Amino acid sequence: MTSVAGAEASATAARRPAGARTAGHGAWFLVLPALVPILLISAGPLLYGILLAFTDAQSGRTGTTRWIGALNFQDLLHDTLFWESFRIGLVWAVGVTVPQFLLALGLALLLDQDLRLRGLARALAIVPWAMPEVVVGIMWRLVYNPDAGVLNETLRDLGLGDGRDWLSGLATALPAVIVVGVWAGLPQTTVALLAGLQNVPRELHEAAAVDGAGAWRRFRAVTWPALRPVALAVTALNLIWNLNSFALVYVLTSGGPGGKTRLPMLFAYEEAFRYGQFGYAAAMGCVLVAVVSVLLAVFLAGRLRGGDAT
Amino acid sequence: MRTLLKVLAVLLLLAGCSAPGHREGGPVTLRFQSLAWQQESVAANRELVEEWNATHTDVKVEYVQGSWDSVHDQLLTSFEGGEAPDVVHDASDDLADFAYGGYLADLRGLLPGRLKSDIPSSSWGTATFGTGVYGVPFLQEPRVLIANSDRLRAAKVRIPTPGHPWSWEEFRQVARRLSGPGRYGVAWPLKEPVSATLNLSLSAGGRLFHRDADGKTVVRFTDGDAVVPRTLHDQVAVDHSAPASTLGSGGADTLPGFFAGRYAMVPLGFSYRQQIVQQAPEGFHWEVLPAPAGAAGLIQGVSPQTLSVSADCPHKKEAVAFIDFLLRPRNMVRLALGDWMLPTGTRALKDPALHTTKYGWATGTALAARLRPAPAQSVRGYPEWKDKVATPAYQEYYSGAIGLAELRSRLEDDGNLVLARYQR
Amino acid sequence: MRPRRAARAGQYAALLAYLVFLAFPLLWLLSTALKSPRELGSLHPAWIPRHPTLANVRQAFDEQPLAHAALNSLLVAVATAVVAVVIATPTAYVMARQRTRLARAATGWVVVSQAFPFVLVIIPLFLVLKGLRLIDSLTGLVLVYVVWALPFALWMLTGHVRAVPAELEEAAAVDGAGRVRTLVSVTAPLLAPGIAATALFAFVTAWNEFFFALVLLKSPGKQTLPVVLTHFIGAEGVADLGPLAAAAFLATLPSVAVFALLQRRITGGLLAGAVKS
Repeated sequence: MTSVAGAEASATAARRPAGARTAGHGAWFLVLPALVPILLISAGPLLYGILLAFTDAQSGRTGTTRWIGALNFQDLLHDTLFWESFRIGLVWAVGVTVPQFLLALGLALLLDQDLRLRGLARALAIVPWAMPEVVVGIMWRLVYNPDAGVLNETLRDLGLGDGRDWLSGLATALPAVIVVGVWAGLPQTTVALLAGLQNVPRELHEAAAVDGAGAWRRFRAVTWPALRPVALAVTALNLIWNLNSFALVYVLTSGGPGGKTRLPMLFAYEEAFRYGQFGYAAAMGCVLVAVVSVLLAVFLAGRLRGGDAT
Repeated sequence: MRTLLKVLAVLLLLAGCSAPGHREGGPVTLRFQSLAWQQESVAANRELVEEWNATHTDVKVEYVQGSWDSVHDQLLTSFEGGEAPDVVHDASDDLADFAYGGYLADLRGLLPGRLKSDIPSSSWGTATFGTGVYGVPFLQEPRVLIANSDRLRAAKVRIPTPGHPWSWEEFRQVARRLSGPGRYGVAWPLKEPVSATLNLSLSAGGRLFHRDADGKTVVRFTDGDAVVPRTLHDQVAVDHSAPASTLGSGGADTLPGFFAGRYAMVPLGFSYRQQIVQQAPEGFHWEVLPAPAGAAGLIQGVSPQTLSVSADCPHKKEAVAFIDFLLRPRNMVRLALGDWMLPTGTRALKDPALHTTKYGWATGTALAARLRPAPAQSVRGYPEWKDKVATPAYQEYYSGAIGLAELRSRLEDDGNLVLARYQR
Repeated sequence: MRPRRAARAGQYAALLAYLVFLAFPLLWLLSTALKSPRELGSLHPAWIPRHPTLANVRQAFDEQPLAHAALNSLLVAVATAVVAVVIATPTAYVMARQRTRLARAATGWVVVSQAFPFVLVIIPLFLVLKGLRLIDSLTGLVLVYVVWALPFALWMLTGHVRAVPAELEEAAAVDGAGRVRTLVSVTAPLLAPGIAATALFAFVTAWNEFFFALVLLKSPGKQTLPVVLTHFIGAEGVADLGPLAAAAFLATLPSVAVFALLQRRITGGLLAGAVKS
């Protein structure tokens, strides 16, 4: 979660040749402590997971696990609930990523100005990043609470009706959850864009201002070209992370009401650890991986192109 | 090398910290995971464990505090990971997958005769899967109507009793009479619409789950299954005697509105009385009424709380002895009072403490004989059917998004697809 | 000059809107944490509690094993930070100083692993850890967290190593210092701030993490703070809002404190070392 800015800076770093090449004989040995756990905990399970998707592995000790070929994927094809969940996942990922980017861009541009309260805003913008996702979820549950929540109370005070039960209304749950997603991810994106703004050549900006270019023209002509690679990288990564998100929605709605906020991650978690259908859940994981891989390819391609452009 | 050693040292240290302390020889230790959460109930459980430990030096019981929240996931992964507690507290509608999955011990040969005869066979039915008995049902609660006494009196409606309850139609009329501008006759907290609807539907003769000639369970939505859903639906959509805003709420969420007089009645589990006693403002008068009755009389489905023994437990006899101790009539009463629920044991149920009119105890106790096993709990795949098909279908029906025909087709068509996956 | 002033006013208005959006949930959390049950039950909640009380904190500690959970979280987070840094530093050194295929593969993995859906990993991981008898064990969780934190740690540390000019090391070598002595007396001191920052990030990641803890820790006595917090929400709508808010608020403090320590690094174009080599 900490690495929006990470991707950005690694993009910067990748463009720089490594300082020196002091070849060492102990290199392999030094890498080993990192390599072993990675293979054991990350790469190994990944392959194992792909294999599981082709079995009927279930919880319980009464049945034996068999190879069933692509049957899980065939079932998945007909599982309307899963595809509905997939659709919700896409709505959620796009619905969070796009406003998040626009809001973060605005905030980053503001923070780049010489304004009072900037320090306060910077400090405040970091807090959602630092908070455990579970706490973010709990906090917004309190905000959305139909009776004791501040949102309905404010609406009542403004005479905008009696308020509603945001998180359990069929129509409001997903938008309500998306707002939380935007709030929670705003800091990372802002910070990454802020870092990207440091790349904007000041002289060009000033020259454009002297030429009488308006704010929008200056943004289009000077700021955006310099910011574009960072913006692209951040957006692609945000999209992927949002597709993978779990804790926020788990705490806010547990996928309810009636599955209206059941993200694919939540769906697969329930399939595996509530209903014990390990093989079927692994197949879902594979589909998710396939989608993410495509996004990742787009991201990497964008990054490479961005690298050439600057 | 130093690095590696350090890593190893840290890992070993951690392993030392987390190694379970009860694997050495000596006295037998049992882990009892309780889901009690109300303060009085936790206290009662802990006291009973202490009393057991004081009198049984050879079998130590370790109290582990669990939580109802996502207990199914927690138990499933514990069983899978081989880390399950020895004595497991749960509810009967949650046991089917564990029983069929081979995680729970069959208690048939282990239960003492006293316990077997004390608990009525309809209760045992809730914990019987296939031919085995996989849990001891010990506490249960009927769904009752908690009502604002002042508003009932002011509207001059007939007060129902367990002997002479409201019919569903009468209930609808009463709710209408109790409504007014900004006020509702009833508020339905239907965060979990399936168990509420199914359990109450028994009174109208709705069973929903039927066994076909080939022994497979299928969903069939009959007229009896439609009575309760239609009443609720019409209260919200036609009469406006129930607000739509609470349909997604949990029971506790409706209490502020109930105390403020916005809702005259709230259908809640019997144990919610404890929260009401704790939170009601001074001078607020409330009482307990039986749920409405239908063509099949004043009955409703219930899924009692259960105590089970893990199949991995190496000391099953001791575990059952501990359960037997917890459920002695006197102790069962203590647990029931602590949880504000009804005991299943016939002798415990006779205790005078459960027959006072204070806080509506007598009304609830009078309903004990009308409780039946919840309709679907022994159906394999019921949890998935409930979460994925039935919950959204009922929620959308109650909120007016779909009609009765669509509800029926979703419950039957989509539902039977899910059930079929479990009955291949 | 008029339009400029109008633009300024607009900027301030926008900034204010951002401040409100960012701050109001936090303030509401605090407000709820300080309210009595009766006030929470009232239909018209106020921003400022009428009778601020700390009773919720006590009740929170009474109801759930919070102190114990916090200890578990602390143990896990510290162990994760230490182990991750100890493992990552030498690897990062190699990655920064060498342009081997290995280093490039590692960099690639760092990027890819950031994006991987852990749902596909968690099911087999659960089965693997079960085989190792590391389910329901804090050791197992630390192991997972270390691997989880490694990509970022590696990436951060690589940047910091690059920031240490290789010429310095070469100069020390020319002066006759051995390889180990060079590393210890020249590189390590320059690297220390970067290592500390990396450790703190790993700490926060582990302190905040929920998903793996939810799946891998089973005994209530071993669960970490985020998992225990979700228990407050409870079954069917049984939520004690006051204690829930109080506990949530307390659980945030360590992470926010660490981030405050790191703030300059974060906002100043993130991780100076990585960007400015």
